Amino acid sequence: MSPLRIKAIAHKEWIQVRRDHLSLAMAFLLPVILLLIYAYAITFDVNNILMAVYDQDKSSVSRELVAQFTESGYFTTVAYPDSYTQIDRYLDSDSARVALVIPFDFSKNIRTGRRSSVEVLLDGSNSNTATIALGYITGIAGQFSRRQASSPIPPVIDLRNRVWYNPELKSRNFVIPGLIALIMSVIVSVLTSLTIAREWDRGTMEQLISTPVKPAELVIGKLIPYFLIGFADTALCVLISAFLLGVPLRGSIFLLFAASAIFLTGGLSFGVLISAATRNQLFASMLGMLTSFLPSFLLSGFVFSIANMPAPLRVVTYAVPARYFVSILKGIFLKGIGMRFLALEMALLSLYGAVVFILACRKLKKRIE
Amino acid sequence: MFERIKYLAIKEFIQTFRDRRRRILLIISPLIQLFLFGYVATLDVDNVSTALLDLDRSQESRELVRRLEASGYFTITSLPASQREIGYLLDKGEVLVAIRINRGFSKDIKRHAAPAGLQVLVDGTDSNSALIAMSHVAMIVERFSQDLALPATVSAAQTDFRTRVWYNPDLRSRNFLLPGVIALITLLTCLMTTSMAVVREREVGTIEQLMVTPIRPLELVVAKMSPSAAIGFGQMILVTAVGVLWFHVPIKGSLPFLFLCTGVYLLSILGIGLFISTISKTQQQAMMASFFFFQPTVLLSGFATPIENMPLGFQYITYFSPLRYFLVIVRGIFLKGVGMDVLWPQVLALLLLGIAIFAVSAMRFKKRLA
Amino acid sequence: MQKPEPAVDVHELSRTFGSFTAVDKISLQVAKGEIFGFLGPNGAGKSTTIRMLCGLLMPTGGGGTVGGYDIRTEPEAVKNIIGYMSQKFSLYDDLTVEENINFFGGVYRVPKEKKDSRKAWVLAMAGIEDKKGLLTGTLPTGFKQRLALGCALLHEPPVLFLDEPTSGVDPLSRRGFWNLIREMAESGTTIFVTTHHMEEADYCDRLALIYKGQIIAEGAPMELRRNYMKRDILEIETERTVEALEVLFKNGIDSAIFGSALHATVEDAGISAPRIRHMLESSGIAVERIDKVVPSLEDVFVTLIEAS
Repeated sequence: MSPLRIKAIAHKEWIQVRRDHLSLAMAFLLPVILLLIYAYAITFDVNNILMAVYDQDKSSVSRELVAQFTESGYFTTVAYPDSYTQIDRYLDSDSARVALVIPFDFSKNIRTGRRSSVEVLLDGSNSNTATIALGYITGIAGQFSRRQASSPIPPVIDLRNRVWYNPELKSRNFVIPGLIALIMSVIVSVLTSLTIAREWDRGTMEQLISTPVKPAELVIGKLIPYFLIGFADTALCVLISAFLLGVPLRGSIFLLFAASAIFLTGGLSFGVLISAATRNQLFASMLGMLTSFLPSFLLSGFVFSIANMPAPLRVVTYAVPARYFVSILKGIFLKGIGMRFLALEMALLSLYGAVVFILACRKLKKRIE
Repeated sequence: MFERIKYLAIKEFIQTFRDRRRRILLIISPLIQLFLFGYVATLDVDNVSTALLDLDRSQESRELVRRLEASGYFTITSLPASQREIGYLLDKGEVLVAIRINRGFSKDIKRHAAPAGLQVLVDGTDSNSALIAMSHVAMIVERFSQDLALPATVSAAQTDFRTRVWYNPDLRSRNFLLPGVIALITLLTCLMTTSMAVVREREVGTIEQLMVTPIRPLELVVAKMSPSAAIGFGQMILVTAVGVLWFHVPIKGSLPFLFLCTGVYLLSILGIGLFISTISKTQQQAMMASFFFFQPTVLLSGFATPIENMPLGFQYITYFSPLRYFLVIVRGIFLKGVGMDVLWPQVLALLLLGIAIFAVSAMRFKKRLA
Repeated sequence: MQKPEPAVDVHELSRTFGSFTAVDKISLQVAKGEIFGFLGPNGAGKSTTIRMLCGLLMPTGGGGTVGGYDIRTEPEAVKNIIGYMSQKFSLYDDLTVEENINFFGGVYRVPKEKKDSRKAWVLAMAGIEDKKGLLTGTLPTGFKQRLALGCALLHEPPVLFLDEPTSGVDPLSRRGFWNLIREMAESGTTIFVTTHHMEEADYCDRLALIYKGQIIAEGAPMELRRNYMKRDILEIETERTVEALEVLFKNGIDSAIFGSALHATVEDAGISAPRIRHMLESSGIAVERIDKVVPSLEDVFVTLIEAS
């Protein structure tokens, strides 16, 4: 192995990367934009549920009921339909997600101590918000019932919730650490999966393999500039998350960067592997997206929890490097845990990196076949 | 003019579909995505690993636990012996929820003097799952509370809240996500195929060859789009079929209408792909740009998180995203069974957006060639 | 005295792609310092052969050595001692001239002491000293070709493989290029060239003519002309070339269009010339000139192909 050759290849790759202003700009801009969007726009918080109220009673009690909903902060009344048909229209067209139907004898029943019923219609198409909304409705409904009773009844069970690690349940804190893993998966795949295929397309690969260069030297040389970019990108993401977006960073930064370095090496090597195996840019890019972005988005535990997946898929997630990186990131950011709990993930991540690197070197044949 | 387009389009089709590997990938790729999304992408919370610390061990506490487990949402996987052990389990991520029933629980219930204490600890790192888990707990506990209440208080003015869920009564998130997946899959594939096809020709140099013929730029554009459009429709059909037949996603609306709307949607997508091709010099740049556009667009489209929960500023931005309108259309057709009468604003917006994007991109394309 | 070891020595080299045989049992030897030309039309198997010799492609039959190293079992050792210029002059278009030179210098591990002098040599040889900061993609083809040649020579390899080095290059540049080759051969480099330009054959010391994967003739240019050309060539200039061709054809005389004239292959020029003149004139075609000419290698080639 010749350091001189590796240096020559890394230098050439670096020059080419540097000259591709558009790609470089996108490589750094994309993470920033994504972080901002995830931080500010994406929220799983459900606090603006659009509600239509069909109040057949129009009494002070019915208004009190509606007020309880809106005062909770979760519901916003947007319409006062006069019929079921109108309710249909609101729910059909996504103008409202919940409809409250208060019967005409509502206040009479309450005054005379009889049972009354209120209808709540929920648009279930977004099951996520619907379920959460149901939870809120249950709580508000229970409160209202007890308060309206002739003598206020204390609840039988006092449910005390405590949320750990992310007490305000800020979606941001949940999403951002895993997001960094996703962004880096995408970036490394895009950066390297085309690099070798492009040289085949242009004919420079044939020239290159006629020289004494060794496959390992070629892989390392190509990895170095992209590694530097990836690392800078990761650092940028971490800085933005911690300082601009206020995501708590409770663990060791050193461990974070060490994990990132290992992850990047594996991801970049994987890109090189795809590139070497496909030798065609369009094919490489589609394969790259399929094998890096998708698994990282869906199977890494980033948004969709692994525990809820069917068993065969859960097994598959063990082969997705982003899975380990996401655990490590979430652990370091939110839980403040260290090597004691993360040793296994680090080891597996390293193993993945080593295996893929070796495969990439092997697949890079110095032959035209 | 149509003659020329026809021959150009034939050439494009041959080039796109010649490579056997690519043909296979074009079919397998959406299928894999569909299956992954179908089985993985669930925001539903089921069988959550739960730790239980029952210091009371009474009939009431056991009944509560039985109800929690019977709901299907919680599965007791550990029985820690102390608060510290609960902490350890949460740290390790082995449980999402921990329930602690204090001694005296059953006594408090029977005496109705003070509310019985029940503590629920939730791992908030996954705030969405936490919220949903808490929602489920709240509902189960509320039910239990009502059942335990003294008969005397029950007959008193009780307000029943009857909830009915429309459109997706089982509240399966899969039904919510899968129609959206159609939009997603077509988006990325068409973007990449269109932009890279044009750039490839430029990279290889054959575009000059085309330009010396009587072909007009617009004809070239239409021809280049044709395989992408075909792929877009093909994938839509494939994904719809699998989604309905395999995953049992309901489709209550009209299929021809879905087809029509897909066409309008593709107009925007192909236009964007064309635009990307005018700013990229190499295929790598085209690929990066496609990704660059794809990710924020999907995020801001209401695919997983509702637009009405976003800050106002971002909501305004989404008005420019074709995906936003198409998602409403697609979900409307699948889950709500509505048609043009309800969805016409979206279709109109999509059409106008598509024409605008296409016009701008085509003009840029023409300028690039000149 | 023992004959010095050949620089390139192959025996029954073959390569098939599926059912298609690209190279069919080729055997040849190239001596040190020789300029060896590999001539043939497109698709004859030239590039495939050269790629096998460079260790880029594995032979499916036969084998050989380059510089003493076996191309089957020691391809990497071969790559250490050769320079290769591929058909597309593959340099990095988005790198400057100087950056390309630096790159290949690093890859070939040119020793530090020699780096600068070798770089200067390449720049001077290619005539692009003033262009070293330009992006390679912007160079005219002639300069690119010489730069590619230079990059292949940075490490002063004993054997040089050039695959169609003059394709797409103007005749003036081509001649200058061959002068360079001659200079290098004189300083001891063995050069193996492929080309489909027959007229370049005369620049080579020895040639092999390849057609459909097989060598149909081998030897020095003059030798080939003498040995394979038992017949004479008459060059005929008329106003109506195509019609004249038809007339000759009807009369059973082997001929082909050569530029704006006809070349007829005959047993004896002296006897045939007046006969042909008579033949054409009696068909109403005026003959401007009939001369016996030295057969070109193209003539040789065509004859050989028709014979096989």
